[in-house]
Amino acid sequence: MTNDYSIIGKSIAMVDAAGKTTGSGKYADDLSLPGMLYGKILHSPHPHARIKSIDTSRAERLDGVIAVVTGKDAPNPFGILPVGHDEHALALDKVRYVGDNVACVAAVSETIAEKALELIDVDYEHLPASFDPEESMKAETNLIHDNKPNNMEKDYHHVFGDPDKAFAEADYIAEGRFLANEVTHAAMEPHCTLAAFELDPHTGTLGRLTVWSSTQVPYYLQHKLSLVLEMPMSQIRVIKPLVGGGFGGKSEVIPIEIIAAVAARAAQRPVKITYTREEVFWAHRGRPRTIVDLKTAVKNDGSITAVKARVVQDGGAYCSYGVVTILYSGALLGALYDIPNIQYDGYRVLTNKPACGAMRGHGTVNVRFAFESQLDEIAAKLKMDPAEIRRRNLLKPPCITINGLRVQSYGLPECIDQVVTRSRWNERKGKLPRGRGLGVACSHYVSGAANSIIRSDMPHSTVNIKIDRDGGVVIYTGASDIGQGSDTMVAQVAAETLGCALSRVKVVAADTDLTPIDIGSYSSRVTFMNGNATLRAAQQVKKQIAAAAAKKMNCAPEDIVFKNDRLERQGLCGDGRLARPGGAELRSESATVSGRVEGQILRGSLQQKRKDEGPKDSITFEEAVVAAIDFHGALSGTGSYTPPPEARGGKHKGAGVGPSPAYSYSAQVAEVSVDEDTGEVTVHKVWAAHDCGRALNPVSVEGQVIGSVWMGMGQALTEEMIWKDGLLMNPGLLEYRSPSSVDSPEVEAIIVESIDPEGPFGAKEASEGSLAATIPAIANAIYDAVGIRLHESPFTPERVLAALRAKRNAKPLNLTQGVDPTAPAKFREHGGELCFKGKGPERHEFDPARREAQLGGAD
Amino acid sequence: MSLPAFKLLRPRTTAEAVALLAQHAGNIRILAGGTDLLPSMQQKLFAPEYVLDIRRVRELSGIRPQPHGGVELGALTPLTDIEHSDVLRQHYPVLPEAAKTVASPVLRNMGTIGGNICLDTRCLWYNQSLQWRKSCAFCIKKDGDLCHVAPGGTRCWAAFSGDTPAALLCLDAEIEIASTSGLRCVKLADFYTGIGDDYRRLRPDELLTRVFLPASSAGYRGAYRKLRIRGSIDYPLAGVAVALKRSNGHIEDVRVGLTAVNPAPALVSGVTQLLAGRRMTEERAEAAGVLAAQTAKPLTTSALTPEYRREMIRVFTKQAIVSLATERKLG
Repeated sequence: MTNDYSIIGKSIAMVDAAGKTTGSGKYADDLSLPGMLYGKILHSPHPHARIKSIDTSRAERLDGVIAVVTGKDAPNPFGILPVGHDEHALALDKVRYVGDNVACVAAVSETIAEKALELIDVDYEHLPASFDPEESMKAETNLIHDNKPNNMEKDYHHVFGDPDKAFAEADYIAEGRFLANEVTHAAMEPHCTLAAFELDPHTGTLGRLTVWSSTQVPYYLQHKLSLVLEMPMSQIRVIKPLVGGGFGGKSEVIPIEIIAAVAARAAQRPVKITYTREEVFWAHRGRPRTIVDLKTAVKNDGSITAVKARVVQDGGAYCSYGVVTILYSGALLGALYDIPNIQYDGYRVLTNKPACGAMRGHGTVNVRFAFESQLDEIAAKLKMDPAEIRRRNLLKPPCITINGLRVQSYGLPECIDQVVTRSRWNERKGKLPRGRGLGVACSHYVSGAANSIIRSDMPHSTVNIKIDRDGGVVIYTGASDIGQGSDTMVAQVAAETLGCALSRVKVVAADTDLTPIDIGSYSSRVTFMNGNATLRAAQQVKKQIAAAAAKKMNCAPEDIVFKNDRLERQGLCGDGRLARPGGAELRSESATVSGRVEGQILRGSLQQKRKDEGPKDSITFEEAVVAAIDFHGALSGTGSYTPPPEARGGKHKGAGVGPSPAYSYSAQVAEVSVDEDTGEVTVHKVWAAHDCGRALNPVSVEGQVIGSVWMGMGQALTEEMIWKDGLLMNPGLLEYRSPSSVDSPEVEAIIVESIDPEGPFGAKEASEGSLAATIPAIANAIYDAVGIRLHESPFTPERVLAALRAKRNAKPLNLTQGVDPTAPAKFREHGGELCFKGKGPERHEFDPARREAQLGGAD
Repeated sequence: MSLPAFKLLRPRTTAEAVALLAQHAGNIRILAGGTDLLPSMQQKLFAPEYVLDIRRVRELSGIRPQPHGGVELGALTPLTDIEHSDVLRQHYPVLPEAAKTVASPVLRNMGTIGGNICLDTRCLWYNQSLQWRKSCAFCIKKDGDLCHVAPGGTRCWAAFSGDTPAALLCLDAEIEIASTSGLRCVKLADFYTGIGDDYRRLRPDELLTRVFLPASSAGYRGAYRKLRIRGSIDYPLAGVAVALKRSNGHIEDVRVGLTAVNPAPALVSGVTQLLAGRRMTEERAEAAGVLAAQTAKPLTTSALTPEYRREMIRVFTKQAIVSLATERKLG
């Protein structure tokens, strides 16, 4: 296919790059309004407790405090999923994790608000809490939510094909338990919301609400605000300023967003709340720690005949996206390889910990770590090359998988070829010096969920385009740019379609008053869906321009080519001559036809041009726009995108999650070295090939792939939320260790273009699919380097050393608190004790008992 | 988390600084680089009424070789300067080796040698926000009377987590402390108490002003091995500094300093007797490693298990001794 695009396929700077790099760009916390107050939230110090009473009177009396709100100020429940409305802005009767939201103070300064928090008296009745997911599943009393027996948020049991038969007939079966510890997004920007009410001009009471928030989903926020505040959505405007990274952590309505609005309503003044980093960890919605019991059946030729997976996710105290996460974990067992028989048992379990939710590679990452590791074990057992065993299990698209996923474009074979070639896999695998190794793994991801969270026939994306008389193109899109570059993507798609210069395009995005509805930036849906909507809107406008221009150019509209900011008759060379035979005649013919531009003439230059006007073979974009506006009146278009019915999956319970109009594919090779004395793992290089359909902006795709590899490497080696009885031991970026630039390996991002038949210009997702391959690629490389097979992530030096020592039968040292990282049974907790023999917080100056004693003394 | 309100005092001379310290003793904290103090104040670990910003006291900065040997370091000398100092790299290489591992380049530009010596001891149960600490019982080091890492104990085990003091101990460094009653000099080894919540012998009216590296410690080869999860930013989870002098293929002298595994940085005793005057062998290096591991008493004050951190003390000690005793290049 010839590539004669002029805007797409080119590496261009993000349209918002200047603001971000100079610091002039405005993020939510950069905003302020006259009279604005600062909100601070009081969090629960207990993992599970009933609130007997809350007394805010002392806080309210503090100078500078304007309002204190509690659960009863906004009692309506909400949650991102219609089946999971289990959250309240502020706790009503119970707190369910350390960090749960209890009250909020709005004050004239942050310091005063913090002081006021210390003056709120909450009387708690402690309840027994559940922390370990497998323990929590057994709970019969002291449930986290009364309507969830055994603390089971949701369990699914899927059988596709005949797995039992396949296992019975297998040549070899691998079986093992894998543990993936909990990770979080660690986006650079902490969540921030500014909420302000306008006064109703007639009644003087509070009227419309405007909320600026760091969100990936402005329209869901508008919807949930409407539910909680009992206001019509039309009275609520949500604006997304620049967002400093989301990765899923802002892809649902976070309590801060509702709390700010509730506080602003009570204070009758604008309220801004910015989370501290610790609060970001409590808001969490990260990747749940996961137990994967995995069993794979193969034939001697390496073909996979069946997979059984039992997945237990420690979901934390609220549903969040949990039901979707546990479904993705099962659904995405399919659509990567050809697996004819699948059994999946997924358990999403509630525990007294911050809620888990969606995180880059939602649902697939931990299962993929287990699967790709086990596939490597099988390859070793069958004495087969790990890349070869993957090639032997490829799908044959177009096809529909056993679990109902439609696969069309499928660049996985080329991805594998690319990384094998570039890493010189065949020459080097197994032949590197001791302690150094190569590992391969594959992954995939959806290009947008084919079924939206809220079931409806509404298009998933709609885009409006308006073109002004001077040729300025304004795109109104609901897509939320969270740093991934969606504003740039829509500008490119529109400019390419209209053949106009990119500089003409202005993007107005993610403002619920201005932009048509788009369901948000999650599930890697924006390029595919909003891109298609943009394409359609641009085509609609283009049609109008072509109709008007055709009159001017005395040709059929379909003969006009839009390119390089001009409209030309088809077949015309750059110098204005027609290339096809007889072209010269055509040209002279048309020159005899007179023409006139109607309407107001805007610019001198244009005026000058028109003096000698006649029918033309080539006119500027601007001239064409003027003609079109004169002809049609206003020039605007709308395009929308709805996933096709055939891509929406099967009929089984839970079939709605997993289907996508297209899947991205990734293959990676990691090269690592392992220090056998210390257990330290160094990643030297990662070759990452990603099939994104078509790279609309290659540098942006490469950036996303590199970022995915880097984030995957964090989960593989350094990142881990450390728990002790529900208390997060490392709620900060010092102790929660995302890799630093020093730790970053060279990443060779390789773009594979499979040109999807339904993607905009063939494009699919680029931002998530690569992450999941990195973790097993590193695990497999560690195996190649030193022969140990880690079943628990992250592969911290203590775990690696423990496995190394066990392998060489060294004197046992309890390096991992008794949890064998090659065959872990359960999650381990941090050492030490929270309290000792009943000694607890009462010793502290803020303790009520002590304070009463002091007050008594003063009396 | 907001920074609690305080009054900022900005003296220009040491005399002025110690006068202010004396005046507000007990209700004042010293700010040099601020990289340790300010995050701790945000966490409400300290809420002093006054903060003494000594960054304008010029006389406290600089690396000055002394006429009769030895080097004097002003307490305010940035760690970046220590890291890049030619004179230190040539004569006292263990110190720049340790300095270059502290935190990250940006933090080393701000952080000072005095600040690294005076660094507050650290513990996962202590270096947390007030809200976090309210979620469990307050500990001995701050507001409470129990220890989370050694339940039932009455002693604080917060780990001293500066990198450079392990190296300075190997160099037998002395420090000068000023107050309104004059100057006093103490061996760095005597500065630390080994008690996590009262970890240094520095009265509230005293200011650390200078560090002296004696002439007798010049010319030792030096190595610093730091256990960290990331290659940058992290505090040490275990640290081993080794200074070693060779002559005629033998080890003339060797000193091993540890950090981040005890409430105080510590020299490993017995290593000199084990190795001095002898040829380096694998077994002797191993034995030195075992001695070092016995000196280390890591607890669950940080990430990674205590057993692993102690094991790394052994491995690092051995590795550092082997490499210093066998490598060809001096320094």
